[in-house]
Amino acid sequence: MSQTITIDPVTRLEGHGKITIQLNEQGEVADAHFHVTQVRGFEKFSEGRPFYEMPSLMARICGICPVSHLIASAKACEAIMSVRIPHTAAQLRRILNLAQMVQSHALSFFYLSSPDLLLGMESDPANRHVFGVAAANPELGRGGIALRRFGQHIIELLGNKRIHPGWVVPGGVTEPLTPEKRDEILRMIPEAYANIKLALSAYKQIADTFKPEIEVFGNFASLYMGLVNDDESIEFTDGALRLIDATGQIVEDGITANRFTEAIGEAVEPYSYTKFAYYKPLGYPAGSYRVGPLARLNIVKSMGTPLADQELAQFKQLAGGPVQGSFHYHHARLIEILYGIEKIEQILSDPLILDKHVRAVAGVNRLEGAGQAEAPRGTLHHHYKVDENGLITWANLIIATGQNNNAMNQGVLQAAKHYIRGGKFTEGILNRVEAVVRTFDPCLSCSTHAIGQMPLVISLQSADGAIIDQITR
Amino acid sequence: MTLEPIPCLILACGNPLREDDGLGPWLATQVAGQFPTDARLRILAPQQWTPELAEEVARAQAILFVDCEANATPGAIRLTPVEPAGEIPRMLSHQLSASDLLALSRDYYGTLPRTALLLSIGAGSLEMREGFSSAVKSALPDAENVLVGTILRLLNAPPQPATPRPASAAAENGSGHNPEDAAADSDAPSGGPQNAATV
Repeated sequence: MSQTITIDPVTRLEGHGKITIQLNEQGEVADAHFHVTQVRGFEKFSEGRPFYEMPSLMARICGICPVSHLIASAKACEAIMSVRIPHTAAQLRRILNLAQMVQSHALSFFYLSSPDLLLGMESDPANRHVFGVAAANPELGRGGIALRRFGQHIIELLGNKRIHPGWVVPGGVTEPLTPEKRDEILRMIPEAYANIKLALSAYKQIADTFKPEIEVFGNFASLYMGLVNDDESIEFTDGALRLIDATGQIVEDGITANRFTEAIGEAVEPYSYTKFAYYKPLGYPAGSYRVGPLARLNIVKSMGTPLADQELAQFKQLAGGPVQGSFHYHHARLIEILYGIEKIEQILSDPLILDKHVRAVAGVNRLEGAGQAEAPRGTLHHHYKVDENGLITWANLIIATGQNNNAMNQGVLQAAKHYIRGGKFTEGILNRVEAVVRTFDPCLSCSTHAIGQMPLVISLQSADGAIIDQITR
Repeated sequence: MTLEPIPCLILACGNPLREDDGLGPWLATQVAGQFPTDARLRILAPQQWTPELAEEVARAQAILFVDCEANATPGAIRLTPVEPAGEIPRMLSHQLSASDLLALSRDYYGTLPRTALLLSIGAGSLEMREGFSSAVKSALPDAENVLVGTILRLLNAPPQPATPRPASAAAENGSGHNPEDAAADSDAPSGGPQNAATV
């Protein structure tokens, strides 16, 4: 009799998720799925709202990456207004987006994943949390907390709030940067460098002990997508999208927000509320791709900052072409934190950074607009249609977790097939299956547009669908 | 980076869009208005207590947590000492208790505030709306008096070492408070804090 394992809820994720693993008659893994089990509905209830309210409404999708939604939404609104925002506003948005990336990556690495990395996948689950990290390596844990503070404090300084700042608006930002705030950010930079260097050094030592996991944690050929600048360096706020294949060849370049839906389609599966994005010319599922830190580092030629470029050069040595193993998302995340700190420092030296002209004003000049940005987890796309009064008639959001959805499912299946044999599994094995999902750092609240805690469920089902075993966190 | 010590940290939490859950931020705002220029006081009122707040707790010489309590008589005001958590919850990235934060401060930074108190008010309703239930609305003046009285007492407590005490001191005492503070608690203003006082 075949069986199904259910992991419900998947723990240490942003949102609610569930994993089911189906076993065949011989007890081998036949199939596995990562289910996103919550529904939000932001696209629907934004209908009828004035377009200029969209950034602050859309930011409420998430408490971790509201800045990405603010920025992608504001850019979609600016397409409707047909305005180009002032240079200083664009630079200040970059700082805000990078600060959010730093704090979000710090949460993912230090709070959610480092318990597995420091204590081991088989360690006592009762200790796999931030207190366990404190016992294993308090200096690293303090560094993580300080990096979170660094990013959040910059967001608070610029937007006057740590979460859901209303500072980014269609046309730019509401207030210029003051010299006092600039200097306060600059004073935090040296400590941030020290903390990320400590984390990178610790990770490189730890990673060697996870070679078996690196081999089977979502390690497969795929396409990769992310924003790049004209000079092929990494970009989070502007630029255009590049898609590469598993050999590193560019499949399509220069995908601007208004061309996004020409290139990218969305499929649905019966087991998840999150959609599955794919590259249209290859169809679904062959056109599935990965986004986020691993993809961004795979598509760029440089980071554009000296210290992060040194790290990128080392990272690219991990493989002859694009780095395929999803375990390396952790490493890529840390390199992006380093980049974020360097880039913020660079931008603050822009002679125009204190310029007072930070907002362009216009009404409705087009009835449709799209905007895109890199959220910590990957590419984020907002697309709106309005009537002549500027009221939203239709909205669609294609978020990073949806774009990684097929890859997460492939990764779960790969790990489940490797570790579960003859219908036998342990808590440590199920933790590894969960940890595959954590490498992607999915944000399920964003992807389904739940109220409650953030728990994952794993269940084991027989061939006839009966639940044989279930673990609920 | 050396973080400056905070003589008195008020750490409230709550969501003003969930009715009585918003009383922590409301009380924090009232206190900020009453002590606008006192540099010894730091007031924070996030929606939830998250792990990074352990750094703030570690800087505090005295800390007063302020929160509503779902499983208490609506409007009941309690001021109680807080100890570092013994049992650790499983899901910790987004929401911690006052005890959890003290334990994180101890484990990550090796320090604990000299005094740690929790002012809690029983919630009457946590529905999705602004404002307060009638029971909490009636209790707010008393809660504010207790809060202000406790802050004044903490700020005027006898001089202490410049940095918070090491966690090892707590371990020696087997408690999150040193004996002098227990004595200070008993000297609370009338109607104000006692150890585990219900007001």
